[in-house]
Amino acid sequence: MTPQGEFLSRLMRVALPGFAVLALAYLILPSLIIVPMSFSNQLYLTFPPPGWSLQWYGAMQQDLSWPQAAVNSFLVGVPTALLSVALGTLAALAVVRGRLRFAAAASAFLVAPMLLPHVIIAIGLYPVMLDLGLLRGYLGIVIGHTVVAMPLVFITVSAALRNYSESLELAAMTCGAGPWSAFRHITFPMIRMGVVVGGLLAFATSFDELMLSLFLTGPGTRTLPRLIWEQMNAYLTPTIAAVATLILAFSLLLLALVALLQRGRAAEGQAS
Amino acid sequence: MTGAQLAVQGLYKRYGEVQALAPTDLDVAQGEFFALIGPSGSGKSTLLGSIAGFVAPSGGRILVDGADVVSVPPYRRNIGMVFQNYALFPHMSVFDNIAFPLRMRKAASAEIGARVERMLAMVRLQGMGARRSSQLSGGQQQRVALARAAVYDPALLLMDEPLGALDKNLREEMQDEIKQFHRQIGATVLYVTHDQDEAARLSDRIAILDHGRVVQVGAPRELYEKPCNAFVASFLGEANLFAIQGAAPAIRGTALEIGGGIRLSTTRRWPDTANGAAVMACVRPEAIRLTEGTAAAGDNGLEGVIEDVVYSAGLLRYRVRVNDSCQITVRHHPGPAMRTAAIGERVALSWRADDTLLIPKE
Repeated sequence: MTPQGEFLSRLMRVALPGFAVLALAYLILPSLIIVPMSFSNQLYLTFPPPGWSLQWYGAMQQDLSWPQAAVNSFLVGVPTALLSVALGTLAALAVVRGRLRFAAAASAFLVAPMLLPHVIIAIGLYPVMLDLGLLRGYLGIVIGHTVVAMPLVFITVSAALRNYSESLELAAMTCGAGPWSAFRHITFPMIRMGVVVGGLLAFATSFDELMLSLFLTGPGTRTLPRLIWEQMNAYLTPTIAAVATLILAFSLLLLALVALLQRGRAAEGQAS
Repeated sequence: MTGAQLAVQGLYKRYGEVQALAPTDLDVAQGEFFALIGPSGSGKSTLLGSIAGFVAPSGGRILVDGADVVSVPPYRRNIGMVFQNYALFPHMSVFDNIAFPLRMRKAASAEIGARVERMLAMVRLQGMGARRSSQLSGGQQQRVALARAAVYDPALLLMDEPLGALDKNLREEMQDEIKQFHRQIGATVLYVTHDQDEAARLSDRIAILDHGRVVQVGAPRELYEKPCNAFVASFLGEANLFAIQGAAPAIRGTALEIGGGIRLSTTRRWPDTANGAAVMACVRPEAIRLTEGTAAAGDNGLEGVIEDVVYSAGLLRYRVRVNDSCQITVRHHPGPAMRTAAIGERVALSWRADDTLLIPKE
């Protein structure tokens, strides 16, 4: 190798990991900046804060609208996850195992809500929910969130179904298992991880969603992202950073759970 | 226990314009080991799938002990099935896999334990019940699949290329085991394979399928010695096939022209063919004698040059070029003192007139 070539390859060995680290930092640092901001001793959002205090975590507890919004986020997120799991699993079974003529088109339609801008879905749902009298209620926003969260379950469960041969279900049937028994004893154990991971991702989507919440929730049903949005416009106190830090911690916890489950699934796949 | 009697009557399957299975009739006797063979796409899997209940036939009847099962869902047909990729349940132990059909039938747990242990002994997997199927070798997994399919004493057992994923030695060992297993359980077996040797070793009778229809049904020897057309002759074992020039000779036993000045003599009767379809002469490679020197006078005596020679499993297989349009395969057991003729050597070929079979091309 020429001296120039050697220099270039050495440069690449250093530059490539360096570039990767920079890219990762670019992705993750903006989320982490709110953490020091939440411990600020100032009255407004500053970075870096000149001094430290826990006062904004205290302020958050005193303002009853925060715990109320947190409860709302769960009251919306959990039913959204359950509904998404039920519908997404059924859709995945139909597309992957059913002999649909338009399986590819059906698959594209099922994933589309995830790719469409939420504002379009929100504007579309607004008059419908108004007509149905579901606007500002829990049911309206659960339906709205299910539209954008269900594709995640569809994707994870479809992947789980494609991971093993249909002959397992055929074998179960020749063994005397009817459709429900075959699902309960064979299909469900095989796709369980996909269902759980899809459900967690559906919950995380609902927990983080702002646009639909702005259109479809009311003062009594507003979720955490919506309350943060309103408070940002009105006050700009570090309380927001404190709330965001807690949400971040919770989201990371969910992500870690998903990662753990998927690693378990990969290990299981290797064993078989 | 006794096996079921299976009758397929006028069964056919269409996918849009494509005919996967032409109207088919088959009768399989009680306790018979019956093989379906044919190249891929010949319809054998469609036929098996229809009998298992996975494929809805477009028409016809499937009678198991006289009762039509076409509209019965697969889980109520009481048919055992062994799949090509074993299809063992990976999240269950060996014991639970074999017990599954009994649990689906709500058997008592004492009975389940006894029956599963009996099956484990029958397939020589005693003490392996607690293992996961992923911890077993391919042959062991296949034996578990066999045990699971037979544990509830089904009268009809379907096997879809069960040994397809195993290597050659293991496959031959498993063939013996399957044959013995069949004798023990007494069920009627319908066995799909594309391996004609395997079918011949295992089966009482074989049905050969091609292009969605059954071409011939018979015992292995019958099919080999009396193939009904050129496809059967070349699919079952090797065959030297010669297109005969001209129509049926007026006198039986007249020598037949195959072009290049070569004449074959035969004692066989000219076959009945539909509207004068072409007839071919068929000579099996092991019927031909290969000797040094020049050809004997008369018909069925040819000379040629050896183009290729292969020694495998105690057999010598020569490819001999007679002329531009005629090449003949010869196969025989060489005696211990017999030398192997070399490539390029001139040799003489001959066979008995009785060994020149006459068969329709189609």
